[in-house]
Amino acid sequence: MRDKFVVALAVAAGVLLAFNLYRIFLVLPDEALQGAIYRIIFFHVPAAITGMIGYFAALLLSLAYLSFGNFRYDSLAASVVEVSVVFSVVNIVTGSIWARVIWGIWWTWDYRLTSALVCVLIFSGYLMLRRAIDEPTQRARLSAALCVFGCIDVVIVWKSIEWFRTQHPGPVLSIRTGGGRIDPAMEQMLYLNFAAILMIAIALVLIRTRQEATAREIDSLRRIANAA
Amino acid sequence: MDARNFTFMFYGFLAAWLIVLLYVISLARRGARLNRELEQVKQLIGADRASEPARLEDRSR
Amino acid sequence: MKSLAQALSVARKDLAIELRTKESINAAGAFAVVILLLFSFAFDPGADATREIGGGLLWLVFAFAGALIFNRGFARELPNDCLDTLLSSAVSGASLLLGKSFANLLMLLAVEFLSLFVFGIFYDVRWWLRPLELAALCVLATWGISVIGAVFGALTVNLRLRELMLPVIIYPLLIPLLIAAIEITNALFSNRPLGSYELLWGRVLLVFDIVFTALAMALAETILVN
Repeated sequence: MRDKFVVALAVAAGVLLAFNLYRIFLVLPDEALQGAIYRIIFFHVPAAITGMIGYFAALLLSLAYLSFGNFRYDSLAASVVEVSVVFSVVNIVTGSIWARVIWGIWWTWDYRLTSALVCVLIFSGYLMLRRAIDEPTQRARLSAALCVFGCIDVVIVWKSIEWFRTQHPGPVLSIRTGGGRIDPAMEQMLYLNFAAILMIAIALVLIRTRQEATAREIDSLRRIANAA
Repeated sequence: MDARNFTFMFYGFLAAWLIVLLYVISLARRGARLNRELEQVKQLIGADRASEPARLEDRSR
Repeated sequence: MKSLAQALSVARKDLAIELRTKESINAAGAFAVVILLLFSFAFDPGADATREIGGGLLWLVFAFAGALIFNRGFARELPNDCLDTLLSSAVSGASLLLGKSFANLLMLLAVEFLSLFVFGIFYDVRWWLRPLELAALCVLATWGISVIGAVFGALTVNLRLRELMLPVIIYPLLIPLLIAAIEITNALFSNRPLGSYELLWGRVLLVFDIVFTALAMALAETILVN
């Protein structure tokens, strides 16, 4: 049942993505000021939002694990963080390539860039911590604690650097600006590609969670084998 | 399309999909390894069960 | 009130051990001095350049030296099962963490004081021009580093690769605090009056300290249960 759902999700994401790529490259015109390079936004922004949703979900799942002690929350949190880190890296790399063309530099210590990088560093630490602990209960508890600390730290980084100047383009989506900052056709495209990337991310998370369950099964079978 | 821009756009898309692809490959490899391990452990337990059925039944009670 | 007294007694115990063995202080102090020396060879900066990079250099040295101190903080309790005894004693987890943070704070402040002297000599910076503001900044920023150090020292104490995991985890978390401390220190070294820019960073420091101290207290039992 679940396997079929994952396959269906992946296929749907693939179809949507193919349609999106066709529209992005062949239907939408070049942007007036930036030329062809602006098309990176269709992956840059959805990857960023997917990552942020993932970290937020991981925070909730970690709190849920700490409150209820169910291992499902823990493995789901680990899977979500791993996939989010992948999409955050996509976000940073595509952004960097865009910046090379438009700003003439690969990197600047702007607040969005800084907080994105801090996110990747903290949650890579989270994944490393999980590898360093063998005992499942301890691993779940400690990594949940780190996740809570990490998420709050990211908020502080975001807020603190937001007070200072920024080089990054401001928000363009009409839910934040009330419209007028982006062409409706392009905005629609952003949402469509966000849907595609989110579907891919969910499929990856489900596959990863499944692996965590397998790992737990192996662990318990090993214990039985050792005890017998 | 603007040629210089286009090259960088191409790099951007390439990089994005390469990263996702690398992750999917690592995911697949880890999945295969886990399945193999599961089979091994199951066989191990199956062998145990064949040799000492009584003890395992005792444990389940 | 009682938990504060407990925290202070934990801190007193740690400092007494430290004064007898001097293992953390010696290691961290020597490390800080060596790094400062190496940097002065590597860059041989003039007076203006030093004022520009001085804050960054110092706070990185403090953060590195801190990691040495924090690694010992809980690892010191491992022989003879002292940690288990502490956890099963009447001292609450929150008090234990708070006490360890106090001990970290005082040890790191001592290392910072030593580093400032060395820094003043090798880099010819008159760091004592604004003693009160510098002291306040050091206490505020070092408290944040110490709390994070105590929490993650406890979290990583039972890991293999403990000494590797601790820096990997704490440095990204310390980024906002270090940026704030560096900005204010640079203003102090160049003897600029603290404007709204520096005060904003001061607010970041304050928020960091309060939020993470509260969070450490709230999650103490989660982190410390074995």
